[in-house]
Amino acid sequence: MKRILYILTLLLTLTACHDQPEWRDDPQGNFDALWTIMDEHYSFFSEKNVDWNEVGQRYRAKLTPDMTSQELFELCGDMLKELRDGHTNLIASHDVSRYWIWEQYPVNYDERLIDEHYLNFNYRQASGIKYAILPNNYGYMRYASFSNSIGDGNLDLVLSYLSTADGLIIDVRSNGGGYLLNVETLVGRFIDQRTHVGAIRHKTGPGHDDFSEPYDYYFEPTKNHIHYQRPVVILANRGSFSATNNFVSIMQHLPQVTIVGDTTGGGSGLPFTGELPNGWRIRFSSCPITDVDGSVTEFGVDPDIHVDMSDADRAQGRDTILETAFRVLGRQSAP
Amino acid sequence: MFEYSNARSILAKLIKFNILFCLLMTQAVAWAGSPTGDTVVDVPRPPAIMFTAEAGYGRVLDTYLTPITYTGWHTALGYEHTQATGFSPDRWVRQLSLGMSFDHVKNPVGNHSMQHLRAGGRWALMRRWTGVLDPRLSLMAGGMTWLQGGAIYNSGNSNNVVSVKAHWTLGLQGIAQYSTRLGRVPVTLRYQAALPVVGAWFTPDYDESFYEIYLGNREHLVQPGWWGNRFDLDHQVTADFRLGGTILRLGYHGTIERSWARHLNTHITTHGIVIGLGGEFLSLPSRSSRIISTY
Repeated sequence: MKRILYILTLLLTLTACHDQPEWRDDPQGNFDALWTIMDEHYSFFSEKNVDWNEVGQRYRAKLTPDMTSQELFELCGDMLKELRDGHTNLIASHDVSRYWIWEQYPVNYDERLIDEHYLNFNYRQASGIKYAILPNNYGYMRYASFSNSIGDGNLDLVLSYLSTADGLIIDVRSNGGGYLLNVETLVGRFIDQRTHVGAIRHKTGPGHDDFSEPYDYYFEPTKNHIHYQRPVVILANRGSFSATNNFVSIMQHLPQVTIVGDTTGGGSGLPFTGELPNGWRIRFSSCPITDVDGSVTEFGVDPDIHVDMSDADRAQGRDTILETAFRVLGRQSAP
Repeated sequence: MFEYSNARSILAKLIKFNILFCLLMTQAVAWAGSPTGDTVVDVPRPPAIMFTAEAGYGRVLDTYLTPITYTGWHTALGYEHTQATGFSPDRWVRQLSLGMSFDHVKNPVGNHSMQHLRAGGRWALMRRWTGVLDPRLSLMAGGMTWLQGGAIYNSGNSNNVVSVKAHWTLGLQGIAQYSTRLGRVPVTLRYQAALPVVGAWFTPDYDESFYEIYLGNREHLVQPGWWGNRFDLDHQVTADFRLGGTILRLGYHGTIERSWARHLNTHITTHGIVIGLGGEFLSLPSRSSRIISTY
């Protein structure tokens, strides 16, 4: 009996008790928490050739015990910018640190110009999609955010209305992303069979190279709803980020689709969130998604036809990228 | 921790072990109900039914959501049905426990909160010994099976916004109860504990998103559990006051849930003050002069 009790006690002491590191709520503790969370969870160290230990040493040397919260925030924000990642943000009650790559490139989109000179302020709107048939008989769809959920019924009405056009332009410039489920909803209208669209991985442990095998994933054509079969041009710019980057990377591989504009902004890792002892949150890239070829799209998707908006065109009320799309559709829809 | 490649075979072994466990329990029931036992088929066996409400303190750490431990208030509702078995009712007791709980917890700074919802049911079959050491003391011990599910929601997170919980176990359950009086009121003091030993639970991988699971990657979502990677305990200390036909329960209820798998750490602890109302119910008139109570 004693032996049984001894074994039972031993088993209980050997149980799943795993101590969780606790950081102090002071500059050192919060910095260490941030560095450790990123060290154990961030997904693109190797792709971005970042030596996180070296980065940590360099910024840790700037820590002082009496630094203010604002000073600590700026120090931590600067450290995170070394990752050059739009999905990585330190979120405090007073500010959000950011590295938004599109701020370094031409905007390549002017909503007012299109509304005024192409749509003549005469357009329809449904499910966050602005749409119209332009005078040259090309359909135009402006989807400003993948955070706007798309209803299948709404999308039926949009595509039905645009079905008489000779081609379709989907404008996702400066669309900063949103929900990937909306990508599936939209792509499902442009494929006619189960289609391999990419692969997703996730971290399996705290090591920088601890990743699962890529999991190939497929989209199905949306059943019993309207599909669009004619030529499609997608307009993209550096502001086409995250879910939009994913959308462009998928659509680019469809035979009837041409990408026009600038390289997209990237953001191919699903963001996860961690937390520091002082209550600041850290959002970071996790779960990398690659395209159908296995290529990392974290740095953006190159367009099939690269073109920037010219100042001369803009002065005349013309959108260079949209005009290029007209020419592409003109060639594709010519008999 | 188990290697993923071995997880399926280990799970298969666990299932075999569980089947064996159930067969042994069934056999134990058969032995207990054999003609050599003191089976009294027509003896009334009033079920003791108890409805409880609970409030207290909750402590939640789930590193899938955050490395910070959150604390706050805890509430729960419970239902307990305890009855002597139809076979060998003097010796065997079965108990069904159902419950759900809700914890609202905050981080130490107090600027973020999480909600933890949990529901589950447990069925136990216990051997009873009465008059051990003291005629007023009775002990019960046996096996139990427990199914629990729930979720922890952290609204401020991005793709790790929720940690889904599902857990099935086999384990041990025991009750020690002592009958006494407080003035003229009969009181039963009871300690009850349920201790899972083996089982399986749902867990995503270290940084696996639910979007990936939605896309169809269902590999490695079930983790075999034992004391090496998971420890749960549900226990309570209560006093049941017999007030005529009604039983008033006052006491303490605590739960511990700890797991460590796939580099994910979970520590969930609750402490609650319990108040309950119930009774022992006889549904049919009987000619028997005996009643086999579980008190």
